[in-house]
Amino acid sequence: MLVFLLTKAVPARTTRVVTVGGVLRREEMDLVINPLDFKALQAADYAKRYNGGKLVAISMGPDFKVKPLLSELYSHPIEGVDEAVVLSDRRMAGADTWATAYTLSLGIKKVLDVNKAAVDEVLELVESGAPPEKVLERARELYHSNLLPNLIYTEKPGLPQGVVQRYARGNARAEEVREALERVRKELDRFLIVAGLKTSDGETGSTGPQTAEALSGVLGKKIPDITHVTDFEVDVESGTLIAERKLGSYVQKLRAPLPCAITIMPEHRPGVVPVVRRKRAALFSYRGKVREVRVWNADDLGADPSKIGLAGSPTIVGPGIDIGGPPVQKFVGRTKVFTQRVEAFEFNGQRYGPFERFAKADDLPEELVRELEAKGLLKTFDLRDLLEEVLGGVVVAAKH
Amino acid sequence: MSSSQQSIEVRIEGYRDVWVYCEHEDGKLTRPTTEVIAGARKVADKVGMDVVGVLIGYNLGDLVKEPIYYGADKVIYCDDPRLKDYQVLPYTTVLSDMVMRLKPWALLFVTSEIGKDLGPRVAYRTNTGLAADVIDLIVEDFVMNLPTGRYVYKDCIAQVRPDFATRIAKIFTPKHRPQISSVRPGNFTPLPRDETRKGEIVRWEPRFEEDDFQVEVIETRKVPKSEVKLEEAKVVISLGLGILRDASGRPRDPREAFRLAKELADLIREKFGVETEIGASRALIYAGLKELEGLITKERQVGQTGKTIAPEVYIALGISGALQHRVGMQRSKRIVAVNVDPNAPIFQIAHYGYVGDLYEFLPKAIELLRSM
Repeated sequence: MLVFLLTKAVPARTTRVVTVGGVLRREEMDLVINPLDFKALQAADYAKRYNGGKLVAISMGPDFKVKPLLSELYSHPIEGVDEAVVLSDRRMAGADTWATAYTLSLGIKKVLDVNKAAVDEVLELVESGAPPEKVLERARELYHSNLLPNLIYTEKPGLPQGVVQRYARGNARAEEVREALERVRKELDRFLIVAGLKTSDGETGSTGPQTAEALSGVLGKKIPDITHVTDFEVDVESGTLIAERKLGSYVQKLRAPLPCAITIMPEHRPGVVPVVRRKRAALFSYRGKVREVRVWNADDLGADPSKIGLAGSPTIVGPGIDIGGPPVQKFVGRTKVFTQRVEAFEFNGQRYGPFERFAKADDLPEELVRELEAKGLLKTFDLRDLLEEVLGGVVVAAKH
Repeated sequence: MSSSQQSIEVRIEGYRDVWVYCEHEDGKLTRPTTEVIAGARKVADKVGMDVVGVLIGYNLGDLVKEPIYYGADKVIYCDDPRLKDYQVLPYTTVLSDMVMRLKPWALLFVTSEIGKDLGPRVAYRTNTGLAADVIDLIVEDFVMNLPTGRYVYKDCIAQVRPDFATRIAKIFTPKHRPQISSVRPGNFTPLPRDETRKGEIVRWEPRFEEDDFQVEVIETRKVPKSEVKLEEAKVVISLGLGILRDASGRPRDPREAFRLAKELADLIREKFGVETEIGASRALIYAGLKELEGLITKERQVGQTGKTIAPEVYIALGISGALQHRVGMQRSKRIVAVNVDPNAPIFQIAHYGYVGDLYEFLPKAIELLRSM
């Protein structure tokens, strides 16, 4: 089973963020893997160990920054990712969630295509009646490229020989090879996409569902998504995913066919893979890890340039604005306030007031403050005043 | 902008009205939905358009009138047994079909599990942008300076959202319609419910597509309702990491602060008859203190990853006021900050400040309130 992990490199520190015209300059910042993606990785790792197959991490961003980060995922948390791909191209920069989803969907499709092509190639060899040694040779090469599972060909100690190996020795019929390959081929179409709930930089949580929608278009087949997943089990043999997800004040339990995309809630805890699943998982797993992170650009993906990066993004980030400050600030033990309502008056030829009780007097001229104080009209704002003013207003508001 | 550049006005024609995707639970509109209707009203009135409530479900009954009572001019609803439960594929199909055929100018969702699932899918399918977690909506022109000229996109919605990079960012969807946003709860005040309001109510016939029903709902169960009602409280007393020490730096049992805060809350509730609740900062919740187990839980969290609230009174005790916290409470009517550090950022947005020990503030406030 192919399990895809969608992951993103995000700024390590929110205090040192470099933006130009609202667009993050990821290449100029210290980046880390989005923290919530580790929850997704844990979930994806579980799905893969339960079913066998391989876990492929896909990310978009400047490759020289993202590659080292993806390398860290190879041993995380239990088996880690088996392969990693970074989609990197200057033309992909400045993408919003729409353009990101489109790009990621092409990355997923390419991984699928590469894996399917490998199976199809061996299938064709068998069907065209190629000599078994030739099938064996090609299968070995593809196995070493991590493109055929142990079921077809293996050099792993402790596992039964692959069907192609038995075929080459005359211990398996062509029919058996074809059946095994078709089974593998069918399971490639039953993939799972796992994403974190949201990223720490964009915080939108939109990329998971939008990638499912984008991929639906790319593959010409509707792919459901389930967001906010708190618990799930996935079985590639029956091709079903059973998931619980949060929905307002309800929990929805859903049965979805594969392929499907999910986003994982931080509270999700993966279960324990039962011993009975291990044999199957081993047969359908691949040779190992391809530690060299692959880099694909827009041309490799066959991307429509008008749908990627800034050009393909319907949203534009405008200039940032400040959060407005409060109009009046009163500090207990410091701020001078009026003790009662004072009607408008003139002082040194200037008009002042009227002032309500508790109106702030700090901004008045010093001379005037002294005079008002002498008349007993000012006092230092105290805790009692604060409670009266703050909670008095609540009573008024509550009556509405 | 350069004056030598030519100014080109761009208007996207053919799109009208501000739609609100109305979420409902147990036969009622959710409160955040009524807030978003109020937000839509603000925008629609500015540009002279109507607010349209969109309802999807089964056996909707009189619920279809509710958006009108809360300020909408019109309702479009789709009522079908196959739409009984929320499901992303058929709901996306129905809503996208409505959008593509009726061409709304804007479409607003609530930031919720549904809004964060349906919103992105509909935005992608209808080929337009989505601004998530919006806290305000402002109508303004969007100006883009390009080598070919200065383009002025007339009457766009500045979709305001918290952004760590620039504090607050405005997201625009200048060239695509509808402009889609998800609006965080707690940022607009619902309009008073008015049963005398009238408006057109239109039934929409769904046109499903193949594969829309591949997902099956096995079970729907209600999560026990939380005792904590932060969003509804008129007064919120929030605790931060500052409760771990007093002004002299001595460690204090955080349960004492909780007990005092609760005593103050009970007193306010009793004396003024208003809902009062205890909140907390993310830092305090994630500290995972043994002593506060069961007392300070995630449902009390105020801030960017917690709840956005706007009570009448917000009392921040020992909360320094990081931006992520501020975006969750800055719309409170009266903010009282209690902190030993006079330079704590919380004082920048507080209406009332108490520079000092919260372990002095709380007993004094309780005593004073008793005597008042």
